[in-house]
Amino acid sequence: MSREVVSTGNQLAAKAAIDAKCKFFGGYPITPSSEIAHEMSRLLPKVGGVFIQMEDEIAGISVALGASMSGVKSMTNTSGPGISLKAEQIGLAFMAEVPLVITNVMRGGPSTGLPTRPAQQDILQAQAPTHGDYQSITLCAGSLDECYTETVRAFNLAERFMTPVFVLLDETLGHMVGKAVLPDIEEVQENLVERKVYEGDAATYEPYNVPADEPAILNPFFKGYRYHVTGLHHGPTGFPTEDAKLSQELIDRLFNKILNHKDEIESYEEFMLNDADIMVIAYGSVSLSAKEAIRQLRNEGIKVGLFRPITLWPSPEEKIDELCNKFDKILVAEMNKGQYFNEIQRASGKKADEFETFFKANGRPISPAEFKAKIKEMV
Amino acid sequence: MRKQLRFTGVGGQGVLLAGEILARAYVSAGKYGIQVGTYTSQVRGGPTKVDIILDDEAILYPYAVDGEIDFMLSVADKSFQLFKDGVKDGGIIVYEPNLVYPNDDDKARWKMFPIDIIAIAKEKVGNVITQSVVALAIATKMNGIDKDLVFNTMIKTVPPKAVEINKKAFELGYQATEEVLAKANS
Repeated sequence: MSREVVSTGNQLAAKAAIDAKCKFFGGYPITPSSEIAHEMSRLLPKVGGVFIQMEDEIAGISVALGASMSGVKSMTNTSGPGISLKAEQIGLAFMAEVPLVITNVMRGGPSTGLPTRPAQQDILQAQAPTHGDYQSITLCAGSLDECYTETVRAFNLAERFMTPVFVLLDETLGHMVGKAVLPDIEEVQENLVERKVYEGDAATYEPYNVPADEPAILNPFFKGYRYHVTGLHHGPTGFPTEDAKLSQELIDRLFNKILNHKDEIESYEEFMLNDADIMVIAYGSVSLSAKEAIRQLRNEGIKVGLFRPITLWPSPEEKIDELCNKFDKILVAEMNKGQYFNEIQRASGKKADEFETFFKANGRPISPAEFKAKIKEMV
Repeated sequence: MRKQLRFTGVGGQGVLLAGEILARAYVSAGKYGIQVGTYTSQVRGGPTKVDIILDDEAILYPYAVDGEIDFMLSVADKSFQLFKDGVKDGGIIVYEPNLVYPNDDDKARWKMFPIDIIAIAKEKVGNVITQSVVALAIATKMNGIDKDLVFNTMIKTVPPKAVEINKKAFELGYQATEEVLAKANS
């Protein structure tokens, strides 16, 4: 039995976290993401969890990482400016392999930007939120339903790959109220992924001594399994090392644990593409506008469809390549100056002038009328 | 049949709730409703709009389309002036006459109805916060939406301790709308 609810995207992300058995939230309020924190503060105590509002964004992620190290599913939430502040600790999560879900309800930037208005300006930030070499997992909700399902998926991926996972919403999705149809709670919970636990002799436990494309196995703290956690390059036990071979293997593994398992991470939608002459590429709330325009244009006999990446990082590069080289007429639309367009060009090998683009960075949504006008120029 | 409604005011007036209740009412009847607000980063006093789309079919893009809006309710002149052009010619605009000042051109272009929304909430109901439910009742009547459906959804949505006062707000808002319509038709 699926569940029908009337809710905002932000409330749905919080509901998803609870259903995914998240037991800890640490964060600091920021528009337009604060309702996720509000909901978590209301819901977590009811399921025996802990909510704490810290003194700032950095402390918010720090306590969330600590909770995760003690073995519980943990979450923090913010908007772009908060990710900037959390960047250093996000790096620790990548390096030490601490699972964490980070929801980012995007608003305009840079800096404090346009707090109350929608944007998609944190796409590149999500790919590379901190210094160093690593691979980000970034999911982007494109509907109210997905504010729920992608947040659940983020928890599963975080536990599977022992890494921070970003869920991107935007102000429109976060604040709009509408009908969402959610999967049955039993179905969600039967499919939850829990991190691996080492059950052998504590004396020989080496949490980072794992196959070359698998995540570390970090047992919860305080259970008798001792190991070291550091942001420095480290060896099998977690203690710092400057050994050239171990350093290279560590960074290679941070890449390969993601890239060799893209089939477990990749997700996208093809909407009315089968018979289309024109392909639109859009994601997040912009895809809602694109779909509305496509529906109206199809009534006028114009064959247009949509490709929508849901997992933005690692990108569905093979699919992007296949589709971009199948269609001659492609429109890329984003609420930024073309942050994902770079990836589309890279993956497809096509040059910028082989695409039409619609980029808007003024805090206003791209309307179906704007889509229609642009697509009609391409017919 | 799609209906596009817009509530406008200034930040802090609390018009979000009315839109949410309308959306919930439609969904509870097996239809589709979406509400999305636009506000500024000013804590108080910035122009605010809340778009509500109601439809028998699924709604994808959540914002109302400027030039196609059927109904607008406004409780602040700043917002009225900023958003009025989104209303289609001949569309309905309900305004708070103590706070919104339409000119003769406005009255020729749209069906303009003055209702003392704030005064009803503040003086007759006894709590200015209930203006949101007064506005809800006005939108319900003006758009020919099922009164019982909206009323029952409202009762389920507002906090339990606020049910009685909001019932009163809804009835007074509904009555005021009937009166203003009767006056226009006489």
